[in-house]
Amino acid sequence: MTGSVLGAGLAAAAAVLALGGCASTQDGDVRDVAAAFFDPTATPDARCDLLAPATREALESDESAPCPDVIGELPLDGGTVESVEIWGSNAQVRTTGDAVFLTETPTGWRVVAAACESRGEAPYDCEVEGP
Amino acid sequence: MTGRRGFVKDNALGLAFGGFFVLTLVGQAILGTADYNAQQVTNGLEPVSFLDYVTSSSFGVDVMENWQSEYLQFFLYIFATVWLVQRGSAESKEPGDEGMESDQEQRIGEHARADSPAWVRAGGWRTTLFSRSLGLVMGVLFLLTWVASSVAGWAAYNGEQLAEKQDPVSWVGYLGEADFWNRSFQNWQSEMLAVGSMAVLSVYLRQRGSPESKPVGAAHADTGETG
Repeated sequence: MTGSVLGAGLAAAAAVLALGGCASTQDGDVRDVAAAFFDPTATPDARCDLLAPATREALESDESAPCPDVIGELPLDGGTVESVEIWGSNAQVRTTGDAVFLTETPTGWRVVAAACESRGEAPYDCEVEGP
Repeated sequence: MTGRRGFVKDNALGLAFGGFFVLTLVGQAILGTADYNAQQVTNGLEPVSFLDYVTSSSFGVDVMENWQSEYLQFFLYIFATVWLVQRGSAESKEPGDEGMESDQEQRIGEHARADSPAWVRAGGWRTTLFSRSLGLVMGVLFLLTWVASSVAGWAAYNGEQLAEKQDPVSWVGYLGEADFWNRSFQNWQSEMLAVGSMAVLSVYLRQRGSPESKPVGAAHADTGETG
């Protein structure tokens, strides 16, 4: 029984530390990717490379054109970062003019949905998003 | 001095269930990773490693929500069986014995024996606390694992919220979400069913050699006998 008590305590403590630790180190990475995606001086290729593969495919399929040719037409307002939320391998960055959702991939954080508008309790309405 | 063989035989029940626990937890981790990754692929997201999964909130809440309900079950059963009886059940005291029972029956106070635990012989608050220690520890373990379940559930819920392009919620906000209470009640109801079934079925059914059953030849009306 002592083992069970210790196990439960250690598991809970490890979970809390893992949540806190991961969130603080990943906050900067997520913030950097969002900033690079919103950077008005970034090349279309650089922006497209920051999209998650499924999202890029969806965009190219919807527009029937290569990503670099159409990414500039998206209404990406950017602005000052208001909040960064990271939960597991998913993240959300809200700026003064926009909201983007990101996912963690083997090559780093990538944008799964951008140019998103809040609809209250319903999912955000996004101009570009994956399946 | 107990020999090695003696130790194993003397502790076979605890060791066996400790082993079953580890095996089934590993099984849950392996199959949980496969299930989680199947969903990731469906959602167009990257599969995660085994290590990433077992340290994730998804795995944490799946484990904790089951642990909390098991400890709640034992906590409630230990206290309920002090005051409630089931005539004919191997799990119950004799009708008429409801309550805390006398010091003589419980071997405390002047009825403590030389081999009684030290806190029984000490008297005062130590005996009062020790007299309720089994239920209290189960209750504390329930509360700890329930809180852990709420924290892991909150993190998993917010991960799902973000995956579905919705805003995350605060921990207090999560306690008001149907997801938390659905997970809790889903586990609680199964424990109540299992305990109630055991209390009633042990009136009419037997398992030869098991202390969880009455002796095979015991009458259905006999209460509290174990075989």
